[in-house]
Amino acid sequence: MSNLSSRLYNLGEGVRIALDAIIGNKVRAGLTILGVAVGVFVVVVISAAVHGINMSVAKDFESTGPTTFFVTRYPIVFEACDGTDDTCAWLRNPPISWGEVETLSRLENAAAVGVRMDWRGSYKYKDKSLPSAGIEAYTSNWALFGAPEMQPGGRVFTEQEVRGAARVVVLNTTAAERLFGESDPLDKNIAIDQVQFRVIGVYKDNASFLSGGDSPKGVMPVTTLQRSLNVRRSDMGLVVKPRDGVARDVMIDDVTAAMRASRGLRPSQESNFAIITQDKLLETYDAIFGMFFLVMIALSAVGLIVGGVGVVAIMMISVTERTREIGVRKALGATRATILFQFLVEAVTLTGIGALIGLAFGWGAAYLLRSTTPIEASIPPLAALAALGASAVTGVLFGMIPAARASKLDPVESLRHE
Amino acid sequence: MSQHLEEEVPLSTTAERKIIVDQAGAAPSKEWVIVTRGVKREYDMGGEIVRALRGVDIAVRRNEYVAIMGPSGSGKSTLMNIIGCLDTPNEGEYWLNGQLVSTMKDDELARVRNKEIGFVFQTFNLLPRATALANVELPLVYAGISSNERRERAMEALEAVQLGERVHHRPNELSGGQRQRVAIARALVNRPSILLADEPTGNLDSKTSEEIMRVFEGLAETGQTVIMVTHEPDIAAHARRVVVLRDGTIESDERREVFTEKLGLTL
Repeated sequence: MSNLSSRLYNLGEGVRIALDAIIGNKVRAGLTILGVAVGVFVVVVISAAVHGINMSVAKDFESTGPTTFFVTRYPIVFEACDGTDDTCAWLRNPPISWGEVETLSRLENAAAVGVRMDWRGSYKYKDKSLPSAGIEAYTSNWALFGAPEMQPGGRVFTEQEVRGAARVVVLNTTAAERLFGESDPLDKNIAIDQVQFRVIGVYKDNASFLSGGDSPKGVMPVTTLQRSLNVRRSDMGLVVKPRDGVARDVMIDDVTAAMRASRGLRPSQESNFAIITQDKLLETYDAIFGMFFLVMIALSAVGLIVGGVGVVAIMMISVTERTREIGVRKALGATRATILFQFLVEAVTLTGIGALIGLAFGWGAAYLLRSTTPIEASIPPLAALAALGASAVTGVLFGMIPAARASKLDPVESLRHE
Repeated sequence: MSQHLEEEVPLSTTAERKIIVDQAGAAPSKEWVIVTRGVKREYDMGGEIVRALRGVDIAVRRNEYVAIMGPSGSGKSTLMNIIGCLDTPNEGEYWLNGQLVSTMKDDELARVRNKEIGFVFQTFNLLPRATALANVELPLVYAGISSNERRERAMEALEAVQLGERVHHRPNELSGGQRQRVAIARALVNRPSILLADEPTGNLDSKTSEEIMRVFEGLAETGQTVIMVTHEPDIAAHARRVVVLRDGTIESDERREVFTEKLGLTL
């Protein structure tokens, strides 16, 4: 069997026999194919979703500029916290104060310092209400966190409105639609936690993963949130943008020094605030998605094992049913390797069909995800290849058991088989 | 088939065969296609040893047409399996076309079967899902022959058995006689040293049996070595020489004239 054309012939024959066997044993073959299809489907859909989320996270970060970074009360941690200082001293971090915001704003290298607070509240307009929707509060340099895409006619709040804690709100399109339907929300008064606000603009959410998708939400000056809605407890997150030509790490050093000075920390003490760069955030997301991938691999492995067991079962039956045929083939000169190859081709055909079906459904699911959620789900080509590869490996591994059995059959016994 | 030119190759005589068989260990000369020396085959049937062959000496010269006869249990199937390289003896030598096959391993035997032996079975044993052409091509596939040549040779072989018109039919679209002719074409397509037929007419009516026997006759005339295993004396009588087995040994090995005369058969 050194000849390529003979190999190809056996390949074609194996595929044809496998197709015949599938048509002849629909239930058995169906289960096998289903198992593999589920395995492949899971891999493909999850990787499409993760791919989409990654893309939108990357887009979020890009929109804030590469040199900006965040200053927060708490760091991003993954280690389990048991409440002691050993594992989570950061729990004692004091909140960031307005004085510190002022200090940082005055740093020579800082182009701007933005403040963000997050809260939730009830929205009401006439008979329509949103019992619990997001409230985001910023200083006037909201754009530092990613410029909002304003709908025509509206505007963002001004410096004066921030200083005066004006009761103005910018709704995202989802909130505007839920509260106003088709009517124009501009200059209408709505109630947020029973306090009256004027709608000054509507913006289209980037509908990214980080900003919480396109759930309804309103944006107001941070001063308004604190005074009118009496929110004191929520933590401020700061975004710091260095001047042009100032390296990010230089700015980080400046901010760290200013914060430590403001808190009176001695050199031996750890910083009791967190500086989060975009690299760090990306790392964090990568860590989360690393776990995602583990779960995905586990799930798809289960699917592939189910498919694999199906392959063993269907192929064992196939070998038994075709014992005589195997005898004939051996009588005509088929070697062990030839028979082994033939049955492996059959097994891989079974799993391959499963993989293609899983891929097709996965593509459909990714499309559905893309059109109904903000996640730009698309199947990365590498994931599709990996899924096909894994299904082929499953076919070979599990097909090996029946194929080896077929190849070792005694020709005399097989020819006598009824 | 160059043997065709050596016209009127005589049947081997008992004396000639004895000389060959007695030279234990020596490779027989090229004209002896089959030589077995003291072949024994035993089976363990659940603790009980069944001695299917108890020392069989056979020599077949190229071009001979030999029938192996015997009642069931005589060991003729076992002998056929050994001659066909599907099985190996526990003891003794088997030389096929100058090669000692009795000590070969599985894959070597597979290659020898592919190259040296053309099988014709009682139940035809065609692959049901494959066309006549694909069935006939199969030994060439295993021989590693390119697809164009395979097709060409398979067509030739089918035309030689008058099935050139039915090459794309599947076995279930063919009559019993046609199926057996496909099987004969498949057996001969790789130009084997011997055609080995196991009860080739066992599943055929008497008219079709005669038709198949005429095919065998024609092959023998062109110089094809034919070994036919059968339990029917009138089928065996078509061969030139008849070997009768009983209880795992050779009871007689004679020209067919002697055989038919003994049985009172007329041809």
